[in-house]
Amino acid sequence: MSDLQIGLASFPVLLLLIFMRVPIGVAMLSIGFTGTYLVNGNTIMTMSQLKHLTYGTFSNYSFSIIPLFLLMGQFATLGGMSAALFKSAESWLGHRKGGVAMAAVGACAGFGAICGSSLATAATMGQVALPELRKYGYSGRLATGALAAGGTLGILIPPSVILVIYAILTEQNIAKLFMAAFLPGILAAIGYMICIAIYVRIYPDSCGTRERLSYSERFKALLPVIPVLAIFLIVVGGIYGGIFTPTEAAAVGAACTGLLALVTGGLTWLKTKEAILSTANATGMIFLIVLGAGFFNSFLALTQLPQQSAEWVAMQGFSPWTVLAVVLALYLVFGCVMDSLSMVLLTVPIFFPIMMALDFGMSATDFGLWFGILVLIVVEVGLITPPVGMNLFVINSMAKDIPISETFRGTLPFVITDLIRVVILVAFPSITLLTVWLFY
Amino acid sequence: MARSFLTSSIHVLARYTALLGGFVLLAVVIMSCVSIIGRALTVFGLTSIPGDFEMVEMGIGFAVFASLPWCHLHKGHASVDLFQPAFGRHLNAAIDIVADGLMFVVATLIARQLWLGMLDKKQYSETTFILQFPVYLAYGAAMLGAVVFVIVSLYCFGRSIGRAKKEFAQ
Repeated sequence: MSDLQIGLASFPVLLLLIFMRVPIGVAMLSIGFTGTYLVNGNTIMTMSQLKHLTYGTFSNYSFSIIPLFLLMGQFATLGGMSAALFKSAESWLGHRKGGVAMAAVGACAGFGAICGSSLATAATMGQVALPELRKYGYSGRLATGALAAGGTLGILIPPSVILVIYAILTEQNIAKLFMAAFLPGILAAIGYMICIAIYVRIYPDSCGTRERLSYSERFKALLPVIPVLAIFLIVVGGIYGGIFTPTEAAAVGAACTGLLALVTGGLTWLKTKEAILSTANATGMIFLIVLGAGFFNSFLALTQLPQQSAEWVAMQGFSPWTVLAVVLALYLVFGCVMDSLSMVLLTVPIFFPIMMALDFGMSATDFGLWFGILVLIVVEVGLITPPVGMNLFVINSMAKDIPISETFRGTLPFVITDLIRVVILVAFPSITLLTVWLFY
Repeated sequence: MARSFLTSSIHVLARYTALLGGFVLLAVVIMSCVSIIGRALTVFGLTSIPGDFEMVEMGIGFAVFASLPWCHLHKGHASVDLFQPAFGRHLNAAIDIVADGLMFVVATLIARQLWLGMLDKKQYSETTFILQFPVYLAYGAAMLGAVVFVIVSLYCFGRSIGRAKKEFAQ
């Protein structure tokens, strides 16, 4: 077999291992190891690479941002900020038709601004908002659907773990990527709210009504949200003001949310230990995949597969937009069965050179940012599509009386909203790039 | 069912390793904040902590290694469970052995090569740029997590074999 054939053959074997439930990181590491052995005929290179690759990956300054953001998300959960966010959004929107569900989406967006993980956002907002939604007579379908979809805002709105990984893989500027994610994230929140508004007009029985609150009550409900806003401004403002690096910003964010949790009394000794262990769980998961992907990708580079496939696609004379559509569609399909992080780590090293070789009529930097946001959105759709959309299960496990099929159906309108948004962002790259152009 | 002595000691070991890593993470957070405040107040004669970047790298490196055993013990590693219901009890038990066996091999490889890497760094007396801190010591600290990872993955491998034996006996 030629090296290229070994590279190609590695994919079915890798997928077989992954679908056999072998942890994805371990599967990638094993295939990377075996593949490199087949190409080189010995393990000398792999073994010497492994001497420093593991420590080098785990202590990489850019990657350090990940455990710090995870810790920040854990502290934010303990600080009771999800409740404050929901209460204030609810006081402004709750009296509208479908308003409590819109408020849940809005609160998810707010929480997403201080948390980089979809699951954490869905879980914490679900606990706060689900009982309220049921209390005001929202159907199980709409309530769980809106919350599962709202959870994805956790990662669409910066900070975002996936964007950090994408930035490192493709050598983009993390700060610029966060900036680029901003408008698409807002657009997502607005899109979900419009979706709810349409849904409750088609199915008027799916929600109840609530009294309109006076403006003094509404403004009062805004007060507890100020710390969240302050933390977001410190973290994001600090990055863009050039005061600190994204990694330092994550540390500052973790410190601020930790202090806030301490003040609100959420941060007891027991809870601190729980937060640390949850952080450890997520950290271990992410870094094993990062390590495995690093290994697998250096094997692929050895076989020249990414380069060759990029050249091949460029030679075929396909329209760049067709290739983009195919790539995004592939992400949507794979997203149904794979978790988003592994998918990004596995595919971006192959797809990115292919896409970069095509001419979309924009600069390489702009394209890198725009493509990153598109990938982020399509892989996140995977979190709310059956059969393995994690957000669906997280939310559904909180509502014992609602069958999972109801949650699946409730999420469908939001998936459609997501797809419409992808089309809009593909058609108008300037929506994504506007903030970057303005601030840089 | 009361846990056996082995099971509880493995859990305690993984838990305290992860907690230790978490406290190092907290220390990194505090150190970074102090350093940033120092840098912001240079007009008052303060400075950032020298080598703060290096301490972040070493601290996070330690914390990540320390998180691996806990994550593995609690089945926290991402995997695709789509076909699990379709596989049946026996096949699933066999797959668990393969998956945990691979994890044990990987953990052992990581720990062994980290050890050899540490010896390399020691031989070349490599130090970090600003702090002049010997790099092999940072590798040595990371060994803690790596070794506990090997122990825990061996335990999980054994656990899968034990479960499979029960499944096949039925």
